[in-house]
Amino acid sequence: MPTFVRRRVVSSALPLVVVILGVFCLARLTGDPAKLYLPLSATPQMRADFLHRNGFDQPLLVQLWDYLRGVFTLDFGESLRTGQDAAGMALRAFPATLQLAGATMLLAIAGAVVIGSWAAYRPNSLADRLSGFLSMTAASMPDFWFAIMGVLVFAVTLGWLPTSGVVGGPEVWVLPLLTLLIRPFGVLVQVVRGAMVSALSAPYVKVARSKGASERRVVFGHALRNAAPPVLTVAGDLTVGLVNGAVVVETIFGWPGIGKLMIDSILQRDFAVLQAAVLVTAVTIFALNILIDLVHALLDARVREAVPA
Amino acid sequence: MAALALAALGALAAGTGCTVANSDSLTGGADGALQIVLQQEPPTLEPCESSLTSTGVVVRSNITEPLIERDPVSGALQPLLATEWKSEGDRTWTFKLRQGVTFQDGSPFDSADAAFSIERAVGSKLGCNVDGYVFADSKLEVATPDPATLTVTTAEPDPILPLRLSFLEIVPTGTDTRAKVREPVGTGPYRISKWDTGISLRLDRYDGYWGAKPAYPAVRYVWRAESSIRAAMVTSGEAGIATGIGPEDGAGDLGVPFPNNETTALRMDGNVAPLNDVRVRRAVNYAIDKNGIVRSLFLKLGEPAGQLVADGVVGHNPAIAAWPYDPAKARALVAEARAAGVPVQTPITLIARNAQFPKVAETAEVIQEALGQAGLNVRIRMLDTAAHLEYQLRPFVRDAGPTLLLIMHGNQAGDAGFTTSQYLVSDGPQSQFGTPALDDMVAKADRTTGAERARAFGEVLAYQNEHVVQYAHIAHMRGLLGIARDVRYKPNSATTDELRLAEVRPAR
Repeated sequence: MPTFVRRRVVSSALPLVVVILGVFCLARLTGDPAKLYLPLSATPQMRADFLHRNGFDQPLLVQLWDYLRGVFTLDFGESLRTGQDAAGMALRAFPATLQLAGATMLLAIAGAVVIGSWAAYRPNSLADRLSGFLSMTAASMPDFWFAIMGVLVFAVTLGWLPTSGVVGGPEVWVLPLLTLLIRPFGVLVQVVRGAMVSALSAPYVKVARSKGASERRVVFGHALRNAAPPVLTVAGDLTVGLVNGAVVVETIFGWPGIGKLMIDSILQRDFAVLQAAVLVTAVTIFALNILIDLVHALLDARVREAVPA
Repeated sequence: MAALALAALGALAAGTGCTVANSDSLTGGADGALQIVLQQEPPTLEPCESSLTSTGVVVRSNITEPLIERDPVSGALQPLLATEWKSEGDRTWTFKLRQGVTFQDGSPFDSADAAFSIERAVGSKLGCNVDGYVFADSKLEVATPDPATLTVTTAEPDPILPLRLSFLEIVPTGTDTRAKVREPVGTGPYRISKWDTGISLRLDRYDGYWGAKPAYPAVRYVWRAESSIRAAMVTSGEAGIATGIGPEDGAGDLGVPFPNNETTALRMDGNVAPLNDVRVRRAVNYAIDKNGIVRSLFLKLGEPAGQLVADGVVGHNPAIAAWPYDPAKARALVAEARAAGVPVQTPITLIARNAQFPKVAETAEVIQEALGQAGLNVRIRMLDTAAHLEYQLRPFVRDAGPTLLLIMHGNQAGDAGFTTSQYLVSDGPQSQFGTPALDDMVAKADRTTGAERARAFGEVLAYQNEHVVQYAHIAHMRGLLGIARDVRYKPNSATTDELRLAEVRPAR
């Protein structure tokens, strides 16, 4: 197992390096931040001062060196927009995204296991077809549209929920969670159903039944355990996607997470914050990927052996 | 299944008696705070940055105050921290300051603070927006003959110095002069109570305020990027006021229209063919159906424009009408230019900014179609703010080919001098070309005052339309402010940049 972990860390680290270098280079291709931050009629001297103060007058390699040093010391400099510590801004925003993504995935997995197993238990029944249709619909629902409709129905028309926000009771979680939940939930129901259908038709299930095991034990004790690896892999990928792509939900609901911070930083050419936010996200995704592989390997010995040296 | 889950969760929320949207925070929720929802979080509350809309809308006249304020309706200057002012000669101004005023840290306000604030913001190394935008290249000398008197001397005669000072917020001596401050102290009716970065900003009423006590004991600002959510917050009762909503965001009769002093126009690069031919630039003006755009795209929130400044700004010329929509004339002018050898088929890039105003992309498409009908070859590029600024501000993007830049100009200062110095003179930061004659007219107009000033700038704007034609004006815009039923506030032309909390009251 330690060998497996070492190999996975090494093979996953390369994309991390590419991301770290890529965000630095791409950010600098997006234009001159001086125009955004200086007065419209700034003099050339004011512009030169700005570039000097922020190190943008240095050769690109020097800027890159400073940035890489910052990566190792978690010192990304200050935000151009707010003057605050960039790493601090990224680290403050990140838990909000993780909480949302974590809660979403827990609900999605729990719901999908119940509905997917139920559908797989009676393949081609009305319930199965209904759950197939609804989960397909959920998986293809644009989250932006769903969010706005949710606000219209539950906040404006019915007045049951707040439109947005992050401060308050559990009610502030409902619409962001549902919006984020709908797609992974739809995907996972399909995956659980597929995995369970093949698991339930496997010989060991027949053996278990012939030995007199209860149906609950057959489904949850035998079939689900064997159906778990593909489900967990997909759930892991979906979690990575959530961490990376909660932008729409965070923007609409004013959820102060890392996705919104990244978009704001790109629009504001706030390079320091963008770099810090991307690094925090990339490292988390890196760690999540390792974790997913580990869980997968623990569940399935073939995976452990398949990773090349 | 998702819908079922949605309904179940909704029912769960209702059944468990969660705090519902309507019960919190509007005009007296738990803390009695008025909630205002903005488009974006203020990046800073530094007073010398308050010409940035997102900062000014919170700071100006709420946390800090200037010496003088401009009445957004009449345009007249009114006393605030200065009670009276007069000029001695044509370069020195004397201001008598209000007594008995204290800053929110308890320290008294006097002329030393006023002088300090001016020196901190104008011509300093801080690089303040107010310096560049309002006091461009000004050299000011300040003196404090006594604690209640301030004199300001300009290097050149500046007849609108008091107007300029109405943009300069006063901070106490001791405020950092080497770095901008994020949370300032001022003399305004509200002080910063808690800024929960990313979530909300709360101001509390300052009990030592020298003026009338404002109605709300506290105000909480939150921000949502999506305009339909801001509108929904007002209709659902979560917010008392929502800024920057559009006519299609669903606020219904809670959306209150107001003239926001913004004017949309196309800026034409007259240095590059085919736009270097005045016939082509005139054709662009004739080809655009401004009435149609205002009626169908802006849902009548605006009126066709013939100049860059709206009514109410000194220098607005009431005699200038919007160019008539005359597609036949546009076609004829393009044909005439083509016959004279102008390469009218050269692709022209129409550059617009995402989300600059409601229906901006559709506006660009309508213009593209109209210019195509006139015989020009136009393609659209939609850019974000930073990329758009690369084209908007000097130094401009080089080798961009012929460009039409869709701009929106707001003259919140109320004087056309601020527009002409930016947009019309040959070397203006946002002007691509001009003529020596126009530059001369602008310089002369800048030295005048009163009715003569209004007339001189009115002539400048008419001359631009007739002889230079750098702009194809589209519309003087109107904004929409969402105001909840239990809040009373009358928006005005300054509201976008300065939402005075003291003017907001509960309706009941």
